[in-house]
Amino acid sequence: MIQLQHVFKEYRVGPVKVTALADVSFEIDKGEFTVLAGPSGSGKTTLLRLLYRDEVPTEGEIRVAGYEVTRLRRSNIPQLRRAIGMVFQDAKLLPGRNVYENIVFVLRVLGTPRREIAPRVMQALKAVGLSARAQALPAQLSLGEQQRASLARALVKEPALLLADEPTGNLDEGIAEEILDLLREIWNRGTTILLATHRATLADQLKRRTLVLERGRLLKDKD
Amino acid sequence: MFLFLIEEAVRDLRRGGRVAASAVLLITLSLAALGAFWVLSLNLGRVVAQWRDRLRVVVYLREEPAPGTADELLAKLEAVGGIQRMRYVSKAEALQTLRRQLGGQASLVAELATNPLPPSVEVTPAPEASTPAGTRALVQRLSTLPEVEEVQGGTEWVERLAEFQRLLQRIGLAVGAVLALAAILAVTTATTLVLHARRQEMEIMRLVGASEMVIRLPLFLQGLAQGLAGAAVAVGGLYAAYRLALPALEPLLSFTLGLPRATFFSPSEVAVLLGGGALLGAFGGLLAKGGRPA
Ligand SMILES: Nc1ncnc2c1ncn2[C@@H]1O[C@H](COP(=O)(O)OP(=O)(O)O)[C@@H](O)[C@H]1O
Ligand SMILES: [Mg+2]
Repeated sequence: MIQLQHVFKEYRVGPVKVTALADVSFEIDKGEFTVLAGPSGSGKTTLLRLLYRDEVPTEGEIRVAGYEVTRLRRSNIPQLRRAIGMVFQDAKLLPGRNVYENIVFVLRVLGTPRREIAPRVMQALKAVGLSARAQALPAQLSLGEQQRASLARALVKEPALLLADEPTGNLDEGIAEEILDLLREIWNRGTTILLATHRATLADQLKRRTLVLERGRLLKDKD
Repeated sequence: MFLFLIEEAVRDLRRGGRVAASAVLLITLSLAALGAFWVLSLNLGRVVAQWRDRLRVVVYLREEPAPGTADELLAKLEAVGGIQRMRYVSKAEALQTLRRQLGGQASLVAELATNPLPPSVEVTPAPEASTPAGTRALVQRLSTLPEVEEVQGGTEWVERLAEFQRLLQRIGLAVGAVLALAAILAVTTATTLVLHARRQEMEIMRLVGASEMVIRLPLFLQGLAQGLAGAAVAVGGLYAAYRLALPALEPLLSFTLGLPRATFFSPSEVAVLLGGGALLGAFGGLLAKGGRPA
């Protein structure tokens, strides 16, 4: 599902070069649940952004969901992104639309046939346990509920791969736990998941394969 | 899909609020100015065409030709060339015409001891001679004939009118162009604001894999809608002004310029104005910068 070969990423900030990733190589199979761990600034977000082609690597090869990401033409980027669901630390919900409309938005943007929209949105809401809050505006939701809505939005297009960048970063421990349980459920239904987190305890507790980054280098890859 | 894009554009217009309204207003102003000059010039053009068409050169004769020799004289006139048609007007006929024109005061004519009006020939220049230069040359040639006292006619004032019409067109274009530029800027500003309000939507759209076209099209559509609205208001306003001014203007026009009816735009000209507005708006919408491409 994901393959990196000798990936380097340098950011140039004025005259200064910041090495965010250095010689990172790994492979993730379809159906795996992998944790990407490492302290703040170790390059986790950068790595995820390379995967959905928000940034291009300075060097190296990347393959995601059958796409040669590094050689992808600009006009084909949307196709890659349709295959990937994304959630972030903040839910990024559109404030003017209720939960239901936020999720409908995605399907309409992607030109999904009208008939299919309502059932798929309902199903996504049910999968994250938010059916009862469909008519609520984002501001009326708790942070945990907002993150659930964000997950529903990522899942409604039925991605093969889910990238989660610190999805529990804003949440209290109990609520974070719930979100992690939810991710496990999603994984159980067949979605490949890559979860980035700086919380070492959280990574341990999940008991899954963990890639550890430090200062842009892949430190260890443990099962 | 298309419905979705339109819904998004409407949402943008509502968010654009006052700036969008002022953009519409500027488009209205620019097209109204352009349109006003255009209507004026259109009607002036008709005056010019009509007068060119009716153009006559009148040749006043020194004396009435002897009975039966009028045709001979006409043949001599025709020989100078550039003449399409001629009509001989005798002293008596001229007096008749005057009497008719005076109407109620026709009795004045009866008090005249002798007929003071000269005989004349009304000459219609051939089409190739009815340019200003051609007419001037024809007048020149006719004046040299010994039987001719004076030649009147020519196109000087019609040409001055035509020049005025061209000037009007140029002013209209210049004023319209400046206002159009302002209108494009206004739409661009309005769209930039919309872009700003819309950046969250655009970010989500890019993340989930929308094509660039789907991301930009609502912006283009809301610009287009602003332009179309402005143009519609402008055409409506001009038409209202035209209907209001018509009763006062028409007798004046008819009396001074001989134009019986002032016209408004034809449907195709209205379409040109509306299309122009839509183009202005769409262009402004496209020019708006912001939102980094994927
Ligand atoms: N857009 C950017 N421009 C310049 N430097 C960046 C940019 N994004 C990240 N960095 C730098 O790259 C390094 C890795 O950052 P990041 O990938 O955000 O780490 P993490 O997500 O693990 O906290 C950091 O030193 C950060 O300052
Ligand atoms: Mg990060």
